[in-house]
Amino acid sequence: MPAAFPAESHHALTDTCHLDPDAAAIELVDVSFAYDRRPVLRGITMTVPRGKIVAIMGGSGCGKTTILRLIGGQLKPNAGKVLAAGQSVPDLDADGLYALRRRFGMLFQFGALFTDMTVFENIAFPMREHTDLSEELIRDLVLMKLHAVGLRGAAQLMPAELSGGMARRVALARAIALDPMLVMYDEPFAGLDPISLGVVGQLIRKLNDALGTTSIVVTHDVYESLKIVDYLYFVSEGRIVAEGTPDKVRASTDRFVRQFVDGESDGPVPFHYPAPDYRKDLFADVQ
Amino acid sequence: MSSDALAGVTHFLRRLGGAVTGSISRLGFASRFMLAIVWHSPQALRRFQLTIREVYFAGVLSLVIILMSGLFVGMVLSLQGYETLKRYGADEQLGILVALSLVRELGPVMAGLLFASRAGSAITAEIGLMKTTEQLAAMEMMAVDPLARVIAPRFWGGVISMPLLAALFSAFGIFGGYLVGVRLIGIDDGAFWGQMKAGVDVWPDVTNGIIKSLVFGVAVSLIAVFEGYDAKPTAEGVSTATTRTVVISSLVILALDFVMTVFMFRGGGQ
Repeated sequence: MPAAFPAESHHALTDTCHLDPDAAAIELVDVSFAYDRRPVLRGITMTVPRGKIVAIMGGSGCGKTTILRLIGGQLKPNAGKVLAAGQSVPDLDADGLYALRRRFGMLFQFGALFTDMTVFENIAFPMREHTDLSEELIRDLVLMKLHAVGLRGAAQLMPAELSGGMARRVALARAIALDPMLVMYDEPFAGLDPISLGVVGQLIRKLNDALGTTSIVVTHDVYESLKIVDYLYFVSEGRIVAEGTPDKVRASTDRFVRQFVDGESDGPVPFHYPAPDYRKDLFADVQ
Repeated sequence: MSSDALAGVTHFLRRLGGAVTGSISRLGFASRFMLAIVWHSPQALRRFQLTIREVYFAGVLSLVIILMSGLFVGMVLSLQGYETLKRYGADEQLGILVALSLVRELGPVMAGLLFASRAGSAITAEIGLMKTTEQLAAMEMMAVDPLARVIAPRFWGGVISMPLLAALFSAFGIFGGYLVGVRLIGIDDGAFWGQMKAGVDVWPDVTNGIIKSLVFGVAVSLIAVFEGYDAKPTAEGVSTATTRTVVISSLVILALDFVMTVFMFRGGGQ
């Protein structure tokens, strides 16, 4: 299938003053990855500066989540470099990888809360696993994290008793339990009602600034992302096809960006899945 | 041979080869998985409360089905045994028949089959769902190894539970045999227990029964955790994995039982 966007169609929508590679928390340099023989990422290069919120946007199946898995070391690239705080993630051994992951927090698409634990125990989980803090201190820390996401009163509920938005907020509290240097959000807005969507969006921004952490938000929710992120990368068919600040994205005339921002059904990302000629297909029986 | 026939044969051979190499590959993965569990076991067993929790879920929650089944199996065994022994005027040997049948064979095997159905399937479904809902991935991303935190405690919980459940199955079976043989049919109380005491030895009868149940515990627990961990992360994948746990465990229990029986009681005439 031909790529909808050849590499040369990648347009930087802003000057590079917003991205300082020297201060990068995460860097991907010419990264390619394939599941078996199916290419997913083709020469991705991106920088995530410290303290910023960067969104990776694109349609379903374009390779967004794969980028997070490469950063988290769950997958290894076929080519290119993945650097986290200056360390080459694919070259880390198991101990090194686990040490790095202790500095990461991740919010999964549907929360991935441990269903056999209460909300309190879910957030205490990483603290109990990785620290020698007393139970009293853990209790205080958990309540502080829950308070930050507005769910201190839900500490003793089970995950099954939470709404989708609440579960996402609990997962967010768990992701920041150990005050990570980087928080990765995998589709944090998927399936949320408008109020929860706004709440989660604002929490991502506020927590990022309050904790001084760095955030990567993988999403296809343009509207919510533009309100909270510092920089956006657009990915299509495994390539970065556009990037820029929210203001530049809003003003962009790039066809892909316009299709994505305006939610048009057809454009550079075609409405139809690749198929033989329609007329020939219809009259195949006749012939 | 026409080209169509040749293509058909080639297709068949390719599928056969794929199935064989797939099975061998899966067996290899299961073996490495077993080694990984053993490797992570010290880490898991240091936090023994995790294993105790799994003993509760796999063992304590299986008690009702194990005890009730044991009771009824013992009662049926007593009834059937009495009918047969009476023909030879050996009805007072009923106690030893019930006890040996249960301790040597029915206790470990039946408890193993019930354990696979009740606890094995639950372990597979739980781990499979944890995988489907990304709980295992979340754990990995929190730098917590699921093999040490989730898999190894469930494995050891099953291994510890199984011999205890088999022993309880046999004990309740003997009690069921007593109820029917002594209380219902009217066999002499002293003869029932006396014959049993004289005819059942700790070695080899009881010990071999315990060894069998321990081996079944290892087999069922390994199959259950492996199938859950290897399940496709979909509703259908978890369902298939759960079914596979019950089917494979049952067949493995029966096959292992035969092999172990051959080695344990060969030519002993006991």
